[in-house]
Amino acid sequence: MSTVHHDPATLPADDNVNAYTFCVELKGSQWFLQKGKMIAYYGTIDFNGIGHGRLDRLVRTSFHSPLHASDWVVAEGSGKMLLADRAFDVNSYDLEDGNLTIRSGNLLAFQPSLALKQSIVPGFLTLIGTGKFVAASNGPVVFMEPPIRVDPQALVGWADCPSPCHHYDHGYMTGLLGGLRAMTGLGGASGEEHQFEFVGAGTVLLQSSEALMAEQAVGAPPQQAGVPGAGAPGAPGGRSGVPGLPGQLGDLQRRFGL
Amino acid sequence: MAFEEINSKMVRATVAPGQRLFSQRGAMLAYQGEVSFTPNLRGGQGGVMSMIGRRVANEDTPLMTVEGSGTVLFGHGGHHVQVINLSGDTLYVEADRLLAFEGTLEQSTVFLGSQGGVMGMVRGQVSGQGLFTTSLKGHGSVAVMAHGGVFEVPITPQRPVRVDPQAYVAHHGDVRNKLSTALGWRDMVGRGSGEAFQLELSGSGTVFVQASEEKL
Repeated sequence: MSTVHHDPATLPADDNVNAYTFCVELKGSQWFLQKGKMIAYYGTIDFNGIGHGRLDRLVRTSFHSPLHASDWVVAEGSGKMLLADRAFDVNSYDLEDGNLTIRSGNLLAFQPSLALKQSIVPGFLTLIGTGKFVAASNGPVVFMEPPIRVDPQALVGWADCPSPCHHYDHGYMTGLLGGLRAMTGLGGASGEEHQFEFVGAGTVLLQSSEALMAEQAVGAPPQQAGVPGAGAPGAPGGRSGVPGLPGQLGDLQRRFGL
Repeated sequence: MAFEEINSKMVRATVAPGQRLFSQRGAMLAYQGEVSFTPNLRGGQGGVMSMIGRRVANEDTPLMTVEGSGTVLFGHGGHHVQVINLSGDTLYVEADRLLAFEGTLEQSTVFLGSQGGVMGMVRGQVSGQGLFTTSLKGHGSVAVMAHGGVFEVPITPQRPVRVDPQAYVAHHGDVRNKLSTALGWRDMVGRGSGEAFQLELSGSGTVFVQASEEKL
């Protein structure tokens, strides 16, 4: 393998430089990007935090996620900038009049022609419209079709299909031996009692490992009747504790009514 | 073949009724169809004695039994995954590197001292295998985890292979291994090359080496 030298002319426009770096070309245009994901740029590019008066119009049309506003900036100007995130695989995706929901930590950047909204599934963001966005994943992204059940940690996002529901499987905890197991905690949990289940038409995006991107606390949606996940920040939302430790059933028992 | 590599970090397994898979707990990424995951108290195959053997040998990685019909995706911790197909021979691998393996394989615990006495035990300590390792024998496939990519190095009687003990992942075939040392006075005064110990594998078979010196 040899090192490839790039200069502004040879860098790709809106394409991957390698599996871990993506190059965005700006020609007087704007991109939203998550703070800290820009690693280098050529040209003159301004990075403005969201909330400036000048960007009000842009934010009003394509950024509908006040909880995440402090994590995002708008890049504006002309030149080329490189995006990367902790040596995770980076890929761009094109949406055409579509919708895609993605884990908030995995989204790096998107074109303002897309509108960013908070999913009603806490911790996820939905992109609606036509345009390009860049997302990171631990290992290459694998696309699967429903019906499928996915480990919560392996889920990157989903497109076009209805929101997932929780699936609990505790067949091995029934019966006499299962009851003993549940009472004593002997034998442990398989760690696979809980999945997200997808049905209907669409695509599910999986990352190839169970190592998650760090999740930032972004608070909770406004407390209001009928809003899922609303309440005090840090209250158990969609990502309720996944029983991970062998031999420790944790709150599984309560959940299964044992 | 039960396992199919989807990409470098993920394998797809097909489960059919009557077939069993063992996999590391929590390593399931997604599944389609009706598949059940049962924590395996005994940590693999065999009876209670095998379980005790594994506990004593510290080769008791938490496993679960995968049964049903459908397809399952496995991956764990962002580690690279290598599928190894066995046709009658024996694979030696550390239990915590096992991502998943077919129930047709016979799993047992091997005392390294039985492969060369005291030097075998020293070798186990240096290569981080401990005094025991796990062997899988029979026909079927195994998905093994490694840090960084895995490559296979063939071992032939004419060409023994020397591997850094930390980069060693697994081996199969009719292979004898010994620890070769290249200790000199430089190592004693702390000016060694850092490559004083190598695992020398000779015979005929294959050794799997990871592109990293980091243990799992």
